[in-house]
Amino acid sequence: MKKSFMMLLTLVFVASIALAGCGSKAETKTTDEKTPTTDATQTPTEPEKKSEPFSITLRHIQVGEPQKNRLAILQDVVKKTEADVPGLKIELDGVEDNTNRNTKLPAEMAAGNVPQIFDLFGGTKDAQKYAQAGKLLDLTPIIEELGIKDQFMDLSAFSVDGKVYGLPIGSSAEGMYYNTEIFTKYNLTAPKTWDEFENILATLKSNGVTPLAGFAKDGWAAAMLPNSLWARYAGPEFIAGLKDNTSDWTSPEITAAMTKLDEWNKKEYFVKGQLGIDYAGRIGQISTGKAALMFDGSWSSSSFADPKQAGDVVGKIGFFFLPPAPGGKGDQTAVNGNSSANGYGFRADLNENELKAAKAFIKNMYTLENQEKGLLTDNTLPSMKLPKESTDKVTDQIVRQVTEGMSAAGALFPVFDAFVTSEVNTAIEQNVQKLFSGKITPAEFGQNVAKAAGK
Amino acid sequence: MMKSIKKISPHFVLLLYVAVILYPFVFVILSSFKTNNQEIQSNPWGLPNVFTFSNYSEVWVKGKISVYFFNSLYLSLAAAVCGVILAAMMSFAITRMKFTKSSKWLYQFILVGMLIPGNALFIAQYILVADMGILGTHWALFLPYTAGAIPLSVLLVSAFMKAIPSEIEEAAVIDGLSAGGMFVRIILPLTVPALVTVFIVNFLGNWNEFLLSNFFLSKDSLKTLPTGMAGFRDAFQTNYALVCTGIIYSVVPVFILYAVLQEKIIAGLTAGSVKG
Amino acid sequence: MNKALRNPAIYILFIVPSLILYFLFFIYPLITSVYYGFTDWDGLNNPQFVGFDNFVKLFEDADFLHSILNNIYFICFSVGIQVPLIILFALLIGSVKRFQRLYKTTVFLPSILSTSVIGILWGFIYDPDMGLLNRFLGLFGVDTIYWLSDEKTAFLSILITNAWQWMGFYIVLVLAAILAIPKELTEAAAIDGATGFQQATKITVPLIMPIISVVIMLSIAGAMRVVDIVIVMTKGGPAGSTDVMASYMVSRAFSYGQYGYGTTIALIIFVFSLVLTALYQIAFNRKASEGVEY
Repeated sequence: MKKSFMMLLTLVFVASIALAGCGSKAETKTTDEKTPTTDATQTPTEPEKKSEPFSITLRHIQVGEPQKNRLAILQDVVKKTEADVPGLKIELDGVEDNTNRNTKLPAEMAAGNVPQIFDLFGGTKDAQKYAQAGKLLDLTPIIEELGIKDQFMDLSAFSVDGKVYGLPIGSSAEGMYYNTEIFTKYNLTAPKTWDEFENILATLKSNGVTPLAGFAKDGWAAAMLPNSLWARYAGPEFIAGLKDNTSDWTSPEITAAMTKLDEWNKKEYFVKGQLGIDYAGRIGQISTGKAALMFDGSWSSSSFADPKQAGDVVGKIGFFFLPPAPGGKGDQTAVNGNSSANGYGFRADLNENELKAAKAFIKNMYTLENQEKGLLTDNTLPSMKLPKESTDKVTDQIVRQVTEGMSAAGALFPVFDAFVTSEVNTAIEQNVQKLFSGKITPAEFGQNVAKAAGK
Repeated sequence: MMKSIKKISPHFVLLLYVAVILYPFVFVILSSFKTNNQEIQSNPWGLPNVFTFSNYSEVWVKGKISVYFFNSLYLSLAAAVCGVILAAMMSFAITRMKFTKSSKWLYQFILVGMLIPGNALFIAQYILVADMGILGTHWALFLPYTAGAIPLSVLLVSAFMKAIPSEIEEAAVIDGLSAGGMFVRIILPLTVPALVTVFIVNFLGNWNEFLLSNFFLSKDSLKTLPTGMAGFRDAFQTNYALVCTGIIYSVVPVFILYAVLQEKIIAGLTAGSVKG
Repeated sequence: MNKALRNPAIYILFIVPSLILYFLFFIYPLITSVYYGFTDWDGLNNPQFVGFDNFVKLFEDADFLHSILNNIYFICFSVGIQVPLIILFALLIGSVKRFQRLYKTTVFLPSILSTSVIGILWGFIYDPDMGLLNRFLGLFGVDTIYWLSDEKTAFLSILITNAWQWMGFYIVLVLAAILAIPKELTEAAAIDGATGFQQATKITVPLIMPIISVVIMLSIAGAMRVVDIVIVMTKGGPAGSTDVMASYMVSRAFSYGQYGYGTTIALIIFVFSLVLTALYQIAFNRKASEGVEY
C-alpha cells in the first residue's frame, strides 16, 4: 500500500516535471532560480584545492547579556581555529537556548540541514537520539587522537555504544540562590534542615516578601525544582531508575513531592504570574528584590557577578542545595550534579575540509586553559578534570558554595531530561505547568506522566 | 444644544477608538527614549527625563535590524513582482486566449488553492523545501511566497482581464501583433490597476509573514523583520527600552509607506479580500 | 478569426510557470500531507504507516481538543463581538463629515503591520508591572492582572490584540459599502422622520448585508488561520491553554518531533475549513466561485 502510494506520488511528480519540460523560456527561468542554491550546497562536497576559502556555520546559544562571557571564550576559540585552518571562515549563528534545543535543532535534524557545528545537549532526547539516527559525527577518533578523551569527567550522556558524539562544555548543579541581605534582615541563614527551609519561606511570606522567583513559562525551567524534590522525596534512585523506565511516577513519594510544590504554589510562595514569565526574567526578580530565593542552575551565577544584570545584589547572593526532606527515601545528602549536559555536536556528513575545521575547533575549545577560564570568568563548572591549582583560584562566593556543597554530598543525581523519552519529557513539563495553574492535582501529575511513560 | 451634542458624540466615540489605536505607539516611542525599565515603570505616561538616543544606536548595532529590514524588503519585492507577472501571464492565457475548455478547467483547478488554509500545508511544505535542498536559504521563502500568491492573484487579475472588451484584440490582430506582443503592449497596460492591487496584497503579505520565515530559515543574517524582531525580543526581553526601539525601527518604514500610499493600500487590500 | 490567440506554444508558456509553482507548493504538499498524516514519523527515521491511529489518538488528546475549542472561541468572538462593533464603528464614521479620512486611515493602520511586531508590542502592553494596561487600570484601583500568564485572561488577551489589529480593516470594508449607498435613500428616510438609529437599522444595515456576510466569512477564515500571534505572544502557554490547532500542530511537529501526528492535525484543519466554507455557502447561499464566470 505504502509503496504503491509513493510510486503514484513519484509518478505525479515526474509528470509535472515532464510537463514543465514543455514550457521553454519561462521554465528555464524557474530552474535557473534553483541552480545557485543547489550549487551552493554541493560545492563543499566537491574536492577542493588547498586553502581555497570555505566557510562553516557554528550554531551557539550565547545570546544576550548573561551569556557574554561564554561568547567571549567562544569567539576566542573561533579566531584560533580560523588561524589554524587555512581558508576557513566560521560563521557564528546565535540562537536562544530553548529555541535552538526544542525548535530549531530538531527541525533541522529532520530536514538534514543542521549547521556543521552546533550546540547540543546530552541525553536520550537529544544527543543519543540524533546519534542513533546517524545524524552526529563520531568524535571518538578525534578525541583519542588529540589525547583528551580521558580528561573529561563524564561523557555518558553523549555516548552511544561506547562511541562519543558530543563534548560537554561544562558541568552544572541546580540548587537554591538566596539574597543574603534579605536573609540578614529577617534573621535567616542558609537552612540545614527541611524545617528551617520551610520556616524561611513562611517567614518571608509573612513579612510580605515573595520567597521564590517564578519563571514557569518555559517548561524545562518549571521542571527544575520538581526534579530535586523528587530526588529528596523518592530518593536519587528514582532519577536513576528513569533510565530504564523502572521508576514509578504514581508512588506516594512522588505525590508527596508534588503536593509540597502544590502547597507552596497555593501559598503564593512563587512570584505571581510565573506561568507567563520567561526564564530570562528570573535574574531581574532577584536583583530588584521581588523574590528572595531562586531555584536555578549554577550557570546563572555569573549573572550575579555582573552589576549590569544584577544591579545592587552583586556580592549579596548565596547558594545552598535543598536540605534533607523528612521521611525522604534514599541518600538525603545527594545533590544535583550534571557532568555532561550541554556542549557541542558536529554533523555526521562533514567533508574533508569541514572535518579539519571541526578537529581544530575541538582542539582549541576543549583545553584545560579554557576550562579554567570558563570557571573563573563565567562561573562555568568544568567538564574536564581540572587540577587543584585551577579550582583553588576561584574567588566567587557562589561558585565556592556550589563546589563545596557538591564535594560534601554523598552522591550526585542528574536531571531527568537526560534519560526520559520526548513524550515523558513533554508530559513532565506540561503537567508541572498544569499543576501550577491548578488544573490538575499532585496525584494526577504522577498518573499523567506514568501514562506518557507507557505504564 | 441637543443637536450639537448629537453631532459631537460620534466624534467622542471615534476619537476614543483612535486613541486606543495610537496610544500604544506613543507609549512605545516614549519608552524607547527612556534609560531603563525603572524609568518606564515609574513614569509610564510622561516624557522621559532625558531623551536618550543611545537605545537607537545600540539596537541598530546589536539588533541587526538593518539586515532584517533589507532581507524583508528584497524578498517581499521579488516575490510580489514575480507573483504579479506569473499571475498576469496565466490570467492572460486563460481569459484572452482561445483555449476555453482547458482554461475553464485550469481556472477551477487553481481556485482549489483558495480553499486550503495556508498553515495546513506548512509541515508538508517544510519537508518539500528540505527535499529540494533549499531549506535555510532565501529560496525557501521566495518560492512559497510566489506560489502562495498565485490563486488569489489569478482570481483578481483574470476577473479584470475578462472585462476588457475583445474588440481591442481584433484591432491588435490587424496590426499584426503576436499573442506575446498583445499581452505586453495592450492587455498589461490596461490591467495596471488590478496588478497594483495584487502587488500590494502580495507585498504586505510577504512583508508580514512569520511562520515560514521562522522555521524555514535559521541564520540570523537571513532573517526577515517579523522573525528577526521576535528573536530580538527573546534576546533582550528584559530590557523594554531596547525592545521598544526595535519596534520603532520595524514599523516606521511601513508608516512612511502608508502615509504616502494610504489610499492605494487601503483600496488594494480591501479589494483583494472582497474578491477573494 | 485570430491565429495569434490560438498559439498553443504561447499558451503553455504562459500557464506552465504558475502551474509548476502551484503544483509544487499546493497540490504536492496536499498529497504528501495525506500520506504523512497516516504515519508515525519522528522526522529522523522512516515513517511507519499506522492507519487511523493518529486520528484516534488526536481525539483522545485533551490538549488538542482544547485547541479546537480555542479556534471555536476565536470564531465566536470574531463573529459575535467584533462584527457588531465593526458595523457600529463603520456607521459612526459614515455619519460624520469632519475627520472622516483621518478616522479611516487611523483605524486601518494596524492591519498593515506584522502580526509578530504587534504581538511583541502587545506583550509589552500586557506586562503585569510595566504594561500600559495595568498602569491604566491601576489608576482606578484595579489590582495587578496577569494578562498573559493567567489561564483565565490569556486567551482573551490574544483575542483583544487580534481585534485591535483587524477591526479597522473590516470597518473600512463596511464603510466603503455604506458610502456607496445612494444619498437619496437616507435623505428620504430622514424626511419621513426616521431617527439616525432607525435609518441605520432599517435602511443602511439591510443594504450592506452582502458585505457583512463577506466580513463574517473573512473573520472565520482568519480565525482558522490564526497561529503567529499565539506563537509570538504566549507560545501556547500558560500550560497549553492558548494553543489553537495550528500552533499545536507546529509545536507537535517541530518541538516534539511528531511530524506524522502534526500532519494529521493539518488534515483536520483542512477538513474543518472545508466544512466551515460549505456551511457558510449554505447559510449565505453564495456561489462557490465569484470573479470570472464561464
